[in-house]
Order: sequence, then structure tokens, then C-alpha cells
Amino acid sequence: MKGTNLGELEELVLLMVGVLYPQAYGVAVMDELEAQVGRSLNISAVHAVLIRLEEKGLLKSKMSEPTEERGGRRKRIFLLTASGKRALEEANEMRNQLYHQIPKVAWQFKMI
Amino acid sequence: MKWLKPPQWPNRFLQWYCHPDLLEEIQGDAFELFYRTAKKNKWKANLQFVWNVIRFFRWKNIRKIKSTQTHQLSIAMLKNVFLVAFRNFFRQPAHSLLNVIGLSVAFACAFLILLWVSFEFSFDKFHSSNNRLYSIVSHVEADGMVQSYPLASASINTSSVPEVEKAVSISTGSRWPHILCFKPESINSECVYLEGVYTNQNLFSVFSFEIVEGDPHPLNRPDHLVISQKMAKLLFKDGQAIGKTLKVDSREEMMVVSIMKDIPSNSSLQFDFAMPFAFLQKEWGINEQQLSGQFFNTYIKTTVPVSAEVLSAKLNDERVLTKELKEQNVRYQALPLKDWRLKNHFEGGQQLSGRMEYVVLFTIVGSLLVLIAVINFINMTTARATTRAKEIGVRKVTGAFRSSIVLQFVGESFLIVLVSVLLAALITQLTLPLFNSLLGEQINLSLVSGFLPFILLAFLLIISVLAGLYPAFVLSSFQPARVLKNQLSARMTGSHRLRQSLLVVQLSVAIGIIIFSGVLYRQLSFIIEKNLGFDRSNMIRVEPTAKLFNNFGVFKNELFKDPAIQSVAASNTNPLQAVGGNTDVEWPGKPKDQRIVFKTIGCSYEFAETFGLKILEGRNFQPRPLDSLNNEVLISEEAAKVMNLKQPVGQVIRMGSSPCVIIGVIPDFHTESLHALRLPVILHRVNYMHTSAIYVKYRPGTTQSSLAAVSKAYKTIEPDYTMKYWFQDDTFNEIYKTEIIASRLVLVFTLVTLVISGLGIAGLATYNVLRRRKEIGIRRVFGASVSQVMYTLTHEFSGILLVAMLIAAPFAWYGAERWLTGFAYRIDMPWWIFVVTLLGIGSAILLIILIQGFKTVNVNPSKTLRNE
Repeated sequence: MKGTNLGELEELVLLMVGVLYPQAYGVAVMDELEAQVGRSLNISAVHAVLIRLEEKGLLKSKMSEPTEERGGRRKRIFLLTASGKRALEEANEMRNQLYHQIPKVAWQFKMI
Repeated sequence: MKWLKPPQWPNRFLQWYCHPDLLEEIQGDAFELFYRTAKKNKWKANLQFVWNVIRFFRWKNIRKIKSTQTHQLSIAMLKNVFLVAFRNFFRQPAHSLLNVIGLSVAFACAFLILLWVSFEFSFDKFHSSNNRLYSIVSHVEADGMVQSYPLASASINTSSVPEVEKAVSISTGSRWPHILCFKPESINSECVYLEGVYTNQNLFSVFSFEIVEGDPHPLNRPDHLVISQKMAKLLFKDGQAIGKTLKVDSREEMMVVSIMKDIPSNSSLQFDFAMPFAFLQKEWGINEQQLSGQFFNTYIKTTVPVSAEVLSAKLNDERVLTKELKEQNVRYQALPLKDWRLKNHFEGGQQLSGRMEYVVLFTIVGSLLVLIAVINFINMTTARATTRAKEIGVRKVTGAFRSSIVLQFVGESFLIVLVSVLLAALITQLTLPLFNSLLGEQINLSLVSGFLPFILLAFLLIISVLAGLYPAFVLSSFQPARVLKNQLSARMTGSHRLRQSLLVVQLSVAIGIIIFSGVLYRQLSFIIEKNLGFDRSNMIRVEPTAKLFNNFGVFKNELFKDPAIQSVAASNTNPLQAVGGNTDVEWPGKPKDQRIVFKTIGCSYEFAETFGLKILEGRNFQPRPLDSLNNEVLISEEAAKVMNLKQPVGQVIRMGSSPCVIIGVIPDFHTESLHALRLPVILHRVNYMHTSAIYVKYRPGTTQSSLAAVSKAYKTIEPDYTMKYWFQDDTFNEIYKTEIIASRLVLVFTLVTLVISGLGIAGLATYNVLRRRKEIGIRRVFGASVSQVMYTLTHEFSGILLVAMLIAAPFAWYGAERWLTGFAYRIDMPWWIFVVTLLGIGSAILLIILIQGFKTVNVNPSKTLRNE
């Protein structure tokens, strides 16, 4: 595995799982991504990312009760793990750090 | 919501491929999305569902084949499988041998066809730049008819086409001056006739003909020549030829400057020597300008591979195709040289498939043969399955998985197929020389050359899986409890329906091949036996020399000293293969717009007599010197008819600019192969010097002595030469070479088909009768007569035979009809062949069953029934 670096989509999905607690599963994450971020993804892509994040240990999952709208099938509900939380924090922190390092003068959009 | 369901097949696909651990959530997601969309639009929902299923088809989601707990293939197990296979092979030697023979004969045929097909495809591919070589074809339109020649003007100038790297004109032919007399170094030797080409220096830079010794860029001096290694060995005792002079045609001295490697047999261009055009000019007595007016085979090498269409378009540009040629309605076409061999047949300016048709035909025949053999194998193996039932039962009881039993039987069939393939390879290599002589080709490939071993390996694997899989599944499906309790049922030997269908397929293929080859054979013998209208047998064609013509009277006198010689004539066209036509004929009362193609043959006065053409009206040519003021012609009946002359004799017609008087009418005769329509003929007298061959007719049965007499007469006039001659019959065979070869091959493959399907049917019928021994016994006990028992044994086969006939007949009819349309003169579809085939195969099957049946029927029923 390529370290614990989060890809952009992975980070988004991870955030969504947190946002949707405790009802984060494939279709819900997909819908939320479209509603909140405007990213229209195929369910299989979302599913693949979720599985990958679980393999990296950033998510854990359990099966829900059977539901009618799925033809009596269960959902796989995803939850953040401690390392998932750490990964999000690190990503956030790194971003903020870098953001604050941008010199004021850069905001004037001028070439020197 | 309940009544809406996602489409079943993608759902099933999903269930099939999806990893079981992931199936529930994935299916759930897909269903949820489907229901959600279905509320709005059912079609969209369906599409979305399918799309999602496809998108979920990812490596991670796919079900992985897990190896089972125990090892399937331990060494000991493998050893046991092979041991059992060997024991089984030898326990029923007749059965195994039948299988192996059937398979290997079919495989050998398929391999021979494979060799031949790859040989045909290998033509001209040995040139290192084979994808940049093109041959030029000229299409000449005249009177609405397009004739195509593999030639282009000798003065073709391709310098305006940027893609052309080099072009080369090559003059080829099968007569003088392309076949010349060379004398080996030893004294007093006879001529060796060798075939060569005239060309320029570009020959060896356009093509990859390898020069092994001497000047690598030869042919730049008028007295230089290049010879092949074979020719060097033939003419020089020690094979040392470089720098030596050769007397060409016993007159001209040429110096050997280079020796090239012998040209491989898969080259369309074949020659033993190459000389500069200067020599041809000298022989023909023409100057540079006249030479540039000639047409020769022309090849182009381009700098980069270009499409033939693009190149053709550029060749028809004004800078290449000169105005004069354009006015003569000439059109050039470039063809990739690598396709030349298989697709060099033109009709009406259109490229036809030519040899390719035969390649396809025999590929189909080969595949069908293999199919028949494999079906045999499957039928025989499943039919005998019961003999292995106990073994399978015991294996299963001691814990064999079904998969390992499948593996065992696939392995067994692999062994048999392997043995057959090896045997077939051996047969192939042994019969290759025979096959070569049958084809009249020199296939210089073997099964271990090039990529063929890989094809063979793939063939081996595919066939053994094909042949082994079904029997393996049937055999491995046995339930041990029932098998071991001896409750065998007919159902245990696989689907009866399936075996019947296989038999139908097999029989239809056999019937189809037999009918098709029957038609093919009838048509070919029709052609060969068809009366062409003139005599072609017992005739020698002699290549003339100038001296021979000058002393024609002496030559004739010498010939007639032998009473076996009947007559001698000369003509400028061989009536067997008179190509081209003449439309420049005028006659009284000819309508203005009418254009009719005649064959005009220039000949000596003895022509009609020599070729057995009777004079129906008027008189023959008279044996007196040619009178240039009074041209006389003989016309065929058809010519008289198209000219609409009631009294043809005495009428004056014009040929070109010269008026001719019709002195007689001769019967119609064919002047080309029977692929083409017969044309009206006009015979006119020409000087001996303007003829191209001398025809000597001799009494039947005196071939040897007549040939000796002709040869002797020749020697008296041309002591320095050896006579070059052909038999007209051989030339005739040459014209139909492809057809004759095809018919021979078809005959061979028909025999093989018969043998293989015969083996299969015999095996199956034997087995069927043996299986029903008890049934027959019971029937006999209850008073069935022998014929009634025979009826129950045979009626199943007769149904199968009829169905097979119904399937095969339309295909055979269609194929044969399509092949026959290629001939202008053809037989009607011989329906009796269909009937005879049906009856023949039917009675053969009947015979096999009856022989087996009688053995069983005549056994006392108490014997067969006691044996419980």
C-alpha cells in the first residue's frame, strides 16, 4: 500500500462517512457526495473507495438490518476508526499549515 | 414497487461473478438505485442497472477460485491417473486403436492442409521488404471488355511518385527467349533448357534474392549474367562459375558475374538466370525505343508501406500513365506482392479471389474432418462409459472430488489425442512428398518450422479439451451408490439426444463432402472429356527456330520418312490457349454498331488437317506459296452465323486493312479453357516465320518412336540444338491444373471422410447392438422374427440418416452450384449423386448393423438371458 496518504476522493469519502454517521453506506455516501460537493460518481467507484479505505484500516464496517428498499438485503454500514480520524486530522492540519505559510504578498496576484 | 424487478440476466451475471462476501451489499446498492429510478422511468432504471452491474465487474469484486482443501494433483494421484489411462488403453486395444487411427488420420489430413495453406500464405513473404513490394496490373478496356495483364509499360516512369523507392521491369515467359539452351562444360553435351528473366540492375535491390558469390550489384553490362547455384552446379563441374563465359543458345557468349541462391519455391517469380535487357533486344532485333514500347512484369518497392489504392491512384496520374496509354484505355493497378499468389485472378477488371477460394475450401474440409473425428471420439468414449462405472464409483467413495475425476478423463483424452497428434505428425512428414507430387508443388515447410509448432500445440490443447470435456462430465456424474449396486441405466451414458445430434452432424458433414466432391468430379471429367472441336491428343508441339522455318520443307520431308507421322502444321496461336480476341473484322452487311470478338489464328495451310478440322463447305487452303494479294480464310460455323452469311464461301471480308476471301467453313471449336465462352474463329494463312510453334500429329500408340523421329528430323536441320517440345495433352492438363489438383485432393479427402465416419458408425453400431443383447433375447423369446429384430435395430439409424441428408443436401447443392457457375460450360446439377450418396451410405450403415445384429440374433436367447 502506498503509505497512509489519502487521495482526494478518499479524503472526501472518509469525510462523508463521518458526516453521515451512523448511516453511512454506499448509496448514501454517493448521494451525499453529489449533494454536498457536486461530485457525481458511479456507485461502483464509491464502493471501491469504501472497500479500499476499510482495507487501509481507516474505516470499519458492520451489516445493518435487512431493509425493504433493497429487496430485503442488508446494508454495509461504515464507521470511522481511530486511525481514520487521525488521517483526517492530519490531512486537515497539513492543509491549514500550508495555507498559513502562504505569504501575504502572494494574495496580491502580482508577478515580481 | 414489488411488481418492478430489475432485468434478470444482468442480475444473474452479477450473482455469477461477484465474490460471495460482497454480493449482498453490491446487489443491495444496485437494487436500491434501480427501485429509486424505476419510480420515475423504468427504461432508465433498467439501463442504469445494467450499467452498474458492468461497472461493478472489477477485479476486487470478482469471485476468486479457491483451491480446495486437499491437493487435487499430488504426484501419486497423477501417477495413478496415468497408470489407469495406460491400462485402459491396452485393455480394449481394438477400441483404443480405432480411436487413435480415426483421430490421427483426420489430424494428418488437417496437418497436410495446414502445411499447404501456410505454404500458400508464405508466398513472396521472404523478401525482407515484403510489405513495401507491389506488382502492377494493367487493365485494358476494349469494346466493353476488360482484359487484365500482370504487366506494365517498360517505359513506366515512377519518379513523380514520392513513395516509390525503386521500380523494376522483368520480362518473363515460358518459351524462347526466356527458355534457352545451355550446354554443360563437358564436350558434346546436349542442351539443358533453363528458364530465365530479362531485367535491369534494380532486380536485386528491389527483391531479396540473395547473391552468394561475385558482384553484389550485377546486370550493369550487356554481356553479364547472373545464374543460380543450381544452374552453376549443372553447367560447371566444380560449381566454380564466376568469371567464366557461357554460350547462351549456342551462340552468344555471356560472362557469369554473380551466383544467386536458388529461388525458394514460395516465390511467385521463378528463374534460374537473369540477363540484362540488352540481350533480349539483340534476340528480338529491336532497338531501345522499340523495347520501351513493350510491356513487362513490373514491380515497385516503396519507401514506406502505403495502401495499394493510394499507390494505384498515383500510378494512374498523367505523369506515370502516359497519354498514349490512356488513349488505349489502359489503367494501372498496384497490388501488394504478398497477396499476389492468392488473389491474382481478374475478370472484367475486377480482382477475384482466385486461389484463395481453394485455400478456403480446403481449410473448411480440413476442419470438418477434424470435427468428424472428434465427434467419433466423443461418441465412442461416452458409449463405453459403463465399462468404467465401477472404477468411478470406487474413486468417488474413497473421496475423489468430481473435479478430479473430470481432470482424470480430460487427461485420458489428452493422452489419446497426444498419441494421435504425434502419429499424425509422423504420417504428415512421411506423406508430404506424395502430397507434393499430388499438388505439383514443392512445399518447403515442415511441421516444426516457423510458428507451426505453436499452432500444433494450441491444436493439441483445444482438441483434447473439446474431445475430453463432455465424456468427462458424463463419467464423473455417476452416483457411486447406484453404480456399485449395479444399477446401471442407459441414462448413465450421457444424453442419448446429444449423441444422436452428434451423429447427425457427422453424417451430414460426410454426406456434404461426398456430394460436393461427386459434383466436382463430374464437372472435371466433363471438361476433360468434352470434345473441344479439334484434336489435341497424339500431338507434339515443337519450339521452332529460324533455321527450321527457313527449311520447313526439308524438315517436313524428314518427318514423313517415318510412317507414324501423320501431318505437320505451324500456327501463331495454340488453339488450346488462344488468349485475346480480334474485333477488327468487317463483313458485307455488318451493322454499324455491332462489335463481335473473333479469334483469329494465323497458321500454315496444313492446320485444319493436322487438328482434325473437317471442311464443311468450300475447300481447304492450298499447298502453294502465300499470295499476298489473295488472302484466303477459313471461318467456323459460328463465325458464319454471326456474320449472317447464307453463302459464306466466296464472300469477301476485311480483317484489319486487308481484304480476305472466305474459301471454306470449318466446325466450331473451343480456343480457351471452358471457363470462357466459345468464340467464332477465323483461320488465315501466315508465313512460317510469323508462327510460334510447329505441331506434329502422329499415329496413336507411337509416342516414343514419333518423338524420336521428330527429334531426328530436328537434328538434321539444327545439329547444335536439342529440341524443345511439349505434348499438347500436357499443356491441356496444365490449363486445368488447379482443377485437376483440386479434384485429386477432394477425392483423397472424401476417402478419408468415408473411412473415418465409417469407423465411427461401425463402432457405435457395434456397441448399440451389444448393449441391446438382452432386449434382443427377450424379443426373440416372445417370438419376434429375425427381420422384426433387425428393424428395431436399424430404424433409429435410418431416421438419423434422413435428417443428416436433409441438412447436408442444401449446403452441398449451394456449394456445388456456386463452384459450377465459374464455368461457361458446365454440367447440370446431377441429382442422382444425391440419391446414390443417400442409398450408398444407408446401405453401408445397414450392412454394418446387420452383420453385428445377425451375430447376436443367432445366439440362443437362453444364453444371453442366463447371464445375469
